[in-house]
Amino acid sequence: MSWVIAAFAVTGVVLVAYAVRLRMRIAELRSADRQRS
Amino acid sequence: MVSALVTLTVVAAIAWLVWVSLDVASRADTARSVGIAALVVLPIWLVMVIYYAPIEQVQGVVQKIFYVHTPAILPTYLGFILTAVGGIGFLRTRREGWDQLAIAGCEVGVVFCSLMLLVGPIWAKPVWGQWWVWDLRLTSTLILWFIYVAYLMLRGLAFGSDTAKTFSAIYGIAGTAAIPFVYFAVDLAQGSTMHPSNPAREGLPPEMGRTAGVGLIAFLLVFAWLVARRLQLAALEAKAQAARGGDVA
Repeated sequence: MSWVIAAFAVTGVVLVAYAVRLRMRIAELRSADRQRS
Repeated sequence: MVSALVTLTVVAAIAWLVWVSLDVASRADTARSVGIAALVVLPIWLVMVIYYAPIEQVQGVVQKIFYVHTPAILPTYLGFILTAVGGIGFLRTRREGWDQLAIAGCEVGVVFCSLMLLVGPIWAKPVWGQWWVWDLRLTSTLILWFIYVAYLMLRGLAFGSDTAKTFSAIYGIAGTAAIPFVYFAVDLAQGSTMHPSNPAREGLPPEMGRTAGVGLIAFLLVFAWLVARRLQLAALEAKAQAARGGDVA
């Protein structure tokens, strides 16, 4: 069972980490864009 | 029924992503509804994996890793196909949106390919007794991953250069030649590979097939949402780059 939990956990962590990284970078660039304009 | 829904999701995802890439600034916000759809389907898939899909008799509960490993395959291939589609579009029109689609498809494709390469060994260790074997399917998948990581490194090193965009487009188109090789690796190995054959041909029991199908739809929705967000990021990066260029000038 621990192998299954590990597989699902790895998938969840990778996808969530990537999504969070995208959102943070988008927020950062949007904020810089607003400051420019 | 489920396989028809999977096909429909694939076609709709590609069409929608191409549509978004042609005007990212005003269309990227439609990603919100795709994200919500993913958040609805993902829990359904998890419940099906836990309660609906039967426990396989030979491998036992470890076989359930199949439901998280195989759905990553289609987004991987689709991401790399989008890289080629974006490359062809860019070479024909020189429009920035196509180039951004190529980068977004590649990066998200690499994320899903990495997942396949990470989750596969977690299944292999208890079933095969070892994390990795250098058979044709595993090795060709690793080579595929390297091909597209090299693409991303190339883009990272030469941001904004028109020559880099043209070269990347050609590289991205040529890279898709590796996809059929990976897909048919088990057949090409003619029995000398340890990796199971493609699930589509295995004739899974209905409960397993439906669970895998819903997993595919869930992963495709996550994939489409991530590509749309990555497109949005690429458009913002290009805008920031243009502003910096303007400041310098």
